[in-house]
Amino acid sequence: MMPTAERQMELTLPMVPDIEIAAARAAGNLARELGMSSEKVDEMTHAIIEACINAREHSGCADNRMYLRFVGTTEDDGPRIDIWITDHGKGFDVNEARVRRQHLGATHKRGWGLQIIEAHMDEVEITTSAHGTTIHMVKYDHAHDEKTS
Amino acid sequence: MNEELRVAVDRRSGGAVLYTKGYINNVGGEEIANRAYELMNDGVRVLLLNLRETKIVNSIGISILIEIIEKMIEQGGKIGFCCLTPVIHKTFQIMGLANYASIFADEETAAKELGLAA
Repeated sequence: MMPTAERQMELTLPMVPDIEIAAARAAGNLARELGMSSEKVDEMTHAIIEACINAREHSGCADNRMYLRFVGTTEDDGPRIDIWITDHGKGFDVNEARVRRQHLGATHKRGWGLQIIEAHMDEVEITTSAHGTTIHMVKYDHAHDEKTS
Repeated sequence: MNEELRVAVDRRSGGAVLYTKGYINNVGGEEIANRAYELMNDGVRVLLLNLRETKIVNSIGISILIEIIEKMIEQGGKIGFCCLTPVIHKTFQIMGLANYASIFADEETAAKELGLAA
């Protein structure tokens, strides 16, 4: 069965404290409408929260906005949610961020956002340049072995 | 959008239990820290954080919880957590919090293991 686009939502949100909750709730509602299990929804919403916090704290964007797109589809073995979170900030070096986290070690308390996102989502792809960053994340309802970054 | 964290304290023989309700972000984490440090300054050396009414956390809030654990360990005490959702438990493990504090499924087990009066 070819996947069918069943639900789509686009949001433009200001970068203000706790706005990540609005983003997470919107995506969570969409996922629940498609029948995603509560544990998978919780993992997805925590990844969205971290992605929004990263955009708010580190993007350095001038427009003070983040742009979100959620697409929910139903595949043979259950719902799939695609999430794109975009900022128009200065971008960052993904590899440098990962190496920095490794060098900081487990005892350093900050900088865990990317690791949390990758642990909670099935697929993560980051596109970044001096004109902004988009993180594309995918969550499946079923067990999914593929992990990309 | 009211996500303010509420913290209730139950002083018991052997320590105290902190009940959280709401989002543990930077503000929520600081609220927990304030209550925990008050108790520690009052001589409490065993704390249990019951998170049964907290469904959302973020990495900044958890980093503040780790600071609380470190201060408690410095003072020779211990901290436990109970009633975590599966995703909060997983996030604690990712950030290493589980290496420094005990995590229990329920309050009864936690109180028994930590030596707190039920």
